[in-house]
Amino acid sequence: MTKILSLNGVNIYQKNFQQILVRGDGKDQFNQTMNREISVIPPSKNLEIKVNDQFLIAKNSFDQWTLIYFFEQDYKEILKFISKLNSDDRILASDYSYGQVYFEISGKNKDEFLNKLTQFDLRKKRFSDLSMAQTLIARIDCYIYSFNDKYIVTCNRSYEDYFKERLIDLANLH
Amino acid sequence: MPALRNKNCNYVSNKEINITFDGKSYSAYDGDTIASALLRNNIRLIGRSFKYHRPRGIYTCGIEEPNALVQILNEHNEPNTRATIKKVYEGININSQNRWPSLSFDVGSINNFLSPIFSAGFYYKTFMGPKGFWKKIYEPLIRRTAGLGKPPKNFRSKSIHQNHNVDILIVGGGLSGLIAARKLINTDNEVLIVEQDSFLGGILKNSNKVKKIDGKSVFDWVKETEKLILESKNIKILKNTLVTTYNFTNHLIALEDKFAGKDIDTNKAELILHKIRTTQTILANGHIERFISFRNNDLPGVMLASSFEKYIERYGVVPDEKPVIFTNNSSTISLVKSLINLNCKPGAYIDSRKKKDIEDETKDYLSKNNIPFYPESEVEGCEGNKKVEKVYIRSSNKEISSINASMLCSSGGFNPDIHLFTQSKGLVKWDDKIISFKPDTAFQNTITLGSVSGNYEFKNLCNEINKKLSFLKVNDLNLDIELNIRNDFSISELWETKINKTSKWAKSFIDLHNDVTTKDLKQAINEGYDRIEHLKRYTTNSMGTDQGKISSINSLGIVSKILKKKISEVGTTTYRPPYAPLSFAAIAGRSTYEYYDPERKTPIHNWHTKNNAVFEDVGQWKRPWYYKKYETETMHQAVQRESKQTRDTAGILDGSTLGKIEIKGNDALEFMNLMYTNAFTKMKPMTSRYALMLGEDGMIMDDGIICKINDKHFIATTTSGGAPKVFSHMEEFLQTEWPHFQVYLNSITEQFTTFNISGPKTREIMSKVFNKIDFSNQSFPFMTFKIFDYKNTQVRIMRASFTGELGYEIYISPKHALELWELIFKHGKDFNLVSYGTETMHLLRAEKGYVVIGQETDGTVTPIDINFNWMIGKKKKDFIGKRSLTRSDTARKDRKQLVGIVPLDKSQFIEEGQHVVECENLPSKIKTPVEYLGHVSSSYHSPNLNHCISMAMIKNGNKLMGKKLFVSTSKGTKNIPVEVVNPVFIDPENKRLVS
Repeated sequence: MTKILSLNGVNIYQKNFQQILVRGDGKDQFNQTMNREISVIPPSKNLEIKVNDQFLIAKNSFDQWTLIYFFEQDYKEILKFISKLNSDDRILASDYSYGQVYFEISGKNKDEFLNKLTQFDLRKKRFSDLSMAQTLIARIDCYIYSFNDKYIVTCNRSYEDYFKERLIDLANLH
Repeated sequence: MPALRNKNCNYVSNKEINITFDGKSYSAYDGDTIASALLRNNIRLIGRSFKYHRPRGIYTCGIEEPNALVQILNEHNEPNTRATIKKVYEGININSQNRWPSLSFDVGSINNFLSPIFSAGFYYKTFMGPKGFWKKIYEPLIRRTAGLGKPPKNFRSKSIHQNHNVDILIVGGGLSGLIAARKLINTDNEVLIVEQDSFLGGILKNSNKVKKIDGKSVFDWVKETEKLILESKNIKILKNTLVTTYNFTNHLIALEDKFAGKDIDTNKAELILHKIRTTQTILANGHIERFISFRNNDLPGVMLASSFEKYIERYGVVPDEKPVIFTNNSSTISLVKSLINLNCKPGAYIDSRKKKDIEDETKDYLSKNNIPFYPESEVEGCEGNKKVEKVYIRSSNKEISSINASMLCSSGGFNPDIHLFTQSKGLVKWDDKIISFKPDTAFQNTITLGSVSGNYEFKNLCNEINKKLSFLKVNDLNLDIELNIRNDFSISELWETKINKTSKWAKSFIDLHNDVTTKDLKQAINEGYDRIEHLKRYTTNSMGTDQGKISSINSLGIVSKILKKKISEVGTTTYRPPYAPLSFAAIAGRSTYEYYDPERKTPIHNWHTKNNAVFEDVGQWKRPWYYKKYETETMHQAVQRESKQTRDTAGILDGSTLGKIEIKGNDALEFMNLMYTNAFTKMKPMTSRYALMLGEDGMIMDDGIICKINDKHFIATTTSGGAPKVFSHMEEFLQTEWPHFQVYLNSITEQFTTFNISGPKTREIMSKVFNKIDFSNQSFPFMTFKIFDYKNTQVRIMRASFTGELGYEIYISPKHALELWELIFKHGKDFNLVSYGTETMHLLRAEKGYVVIGQETDGTVTPIDINFNWMIGKKKKDFIGKRSLTRSDTARKDRKQLVGIVPLDKSQFIEEGQHVVECENLPSKIKTPVEYLGHVSSSYHSPNLNHCISMAMIKNGNKLMGKKLFVSTSKGTKNIPVEVVNPVFIDPENKRLVS
């Protein structure tokens, strides 16, 4: 975990999460396969998140799910899990662990801060807790996951430096 | 002597500050605008008019100001700043505009005497000839005289952008806006109030019209309301913020001045451009007073009556102690009362209404205070040297008399400020009672409240608001509003007064900003411009930066009379954003320089930087272009060195930017067969194949290598720039054309870092790095791949090459990439391994005759054109683009085809993009087109062949092998003689490739 900035009611940390992108039909067999591996039935509603201490699983679209590990797992275990999922021809699981970067954004002014970089409606009534969205933040395609008191934002690793610089640059304007 | 101060004014502090105007120091108060500060110092002459350079003063007290535009010298020379809204601060340095050599003596004022030539349509009638004058004389002259202020000296980054999403936006924090807000306090609606002033209250603070609300003084009521709002959980207020734009889908733009009344801090954003998305918009932005046209109605000292009152009540300055008041409506009596309260007395009260229509209260009040009263009269004109000195009154008996006065306050009625409403595409209608247009049908979720909706009756305000907001299911609010004036509004129509005394100097203006006179309007109509939109453009009426806010309805009134039509039949011009001028810098946002466009970096980026890479932008990617071995090494030298070394020993390229797509599912094989021209059915698992993707038009769209893990699982690479396009192309076909396919795709571009290592020594290096892998030809042949565990991850290595040398592509997780890259270099050192950039990559592939999508192809090239017939699966039933390849045009034999080209004189260099022709010399003057065979698509100096090699797309190229042709140059008319050759320059037998 690396602190990016903390000021004016906004705290941003970079996290060492890991991620798997899963595609499938979301039907019984898919759910059973996932449940067998992670003991959670993937959410069936679009943009919904299920979460526990270990990970979150979010439904990105009608046939796509994201599994994010909150703690760094043994990478071999991740790859093994992916291999297991892929043994089912009707599932495609791809390792997204290190091709993505993860930011945790919290603080009472987090919405106002982020709304300088995105037009996305972050209000709870529109973007409720335990839901996710895909939107542009600082002109970068990002996934944003909403929790009670924070957001987790992920984007492609290639944008890491740019994204961090934009966050810091914006903070300096306050 | 300073002007009289209204000490009861609560909105300006007692703190004295110093300001400079035209080089002279003046004293002002903290909270003053430039205009109120100058009026406080009895300065009436502020600037010169646009066309005639006539002396001009302060006409209004707000955004509608047409005259008092100034230049702020200490804010990077910011021009055309409205003196009526710009707050002063200690040390502000202001200059007047559009005058030379000085404000009081302006040479340009000669234009006033030449005014007969500058009549309506001047630009359309003049500058027609002689030919050649336009470019050299007219245009430079017009450009030099155009505009008012001087442009800023430097660009400065002024604004940042802030997005908002709210349920309700209230535009205007005046009485109507505040009543609406009070009703919404602590409801479930998230509300944003936007107010252009630094205080809430609107008309409550700007005038003396309202005495008390619910028994409280208006000041206390506004204070209490603001407190309630700030304590609420759901309402926010933005002050010093002007809504400029109302777009579709309730998207509004507002500009906040963060440094209103403060010296700007160049390290901070001066402005915030708010982009507001809302469900409901409540427009409570009030009204704007309009003027009346009379002779010399532009003289400094002529001011709108409500503005005069605003200076007294809002800024605590009394511009003149005995102004003449000229009105056609009932509202101006509150100005009289404001003056009387301060022991001042108007010099005269001239009311154009019939005596019987004038309120008894007004007549009694004027009589009681001994104010000279002229009912059923009008101002014929005024005169004076750069200021009002004498006012001419036409009485009810048509006789003209004059009185001495130094200020004249006029009121021609009020226009609901429908600008934003009409921007939202709302429809307006004419109201004979208020003699103005008012909102009728909203196009979006827009509600108008108060005077913007045409309701000028304070007592009726709560009813209107309760009714219009009832759908929000909020409690009714009823306030007891006590007035200093009558509740009902009365007005008689008066747009202009007849001029008796004519002279060359005398003018009756309809548009003060653009110097358009009532005479210009009449002339334009006589010339046939009787449609209001034509008239506007022909005369430039209401086309100034004030958009004719105080005068556009007047021009409709005058035009309707000439055309003998009703104003509602004449119609209005189109209101377009912005409501008031905003600078391009505010729209552009803060200058983010290096952050302007997102940058993408590979996991090896820092290594490249440390090793003196010069980067090239490939889309958003930063790719090493070449590496400087020493400071003075040129790109040419570096590329020659890198490519030679790669062919001699080994070179490595960071190919991480290549697009990568994982494809899996029961129908993956069929899907791939349809997406690409190649046939994958017979392809063995764990082998790879170079593949082409076509568009439906049969033209090459992208290329890449397909790795077949098994019939149900593939990994495809794409070009760096083509990755998103290819991915969405595949998804589109899956979701729309072949939804029955059970296939899933994932973009894995970022999940694998890719290195391309090639050269004769590659096998030795790879064997050292991955010492458990057998890299021999037998166990690891060309176009096969292996996946194996490496440390804590997996590596995929594919035997492939884009250089024509023995080569491998390595795919590894980004986390382990740099470590592996450095390990390869550690082992590669013994074999003289060199890192090379994209320029060398292009040279190496060109030597081998490999094409680059986007360089040899341009969206009009088929596989057959580049001799890739072998890549088309002839036995395949179908693939995207197949049918188009048989079209007569694509099947044509004489299409442009890919060939190699070398200069006959090996010392000569051929430039990319040059034309291939049959003639040795181009004529010095081309009179008839020279036949063009094609163009050079790629060209490099090959260090391995020691001469220039080029690829070209030329007509019927395959049949021209060995033929002598010519290539044009960027200098001169002599073409370079070349020979058409096979485009594979090195190792056509593929001995190196499969070694």
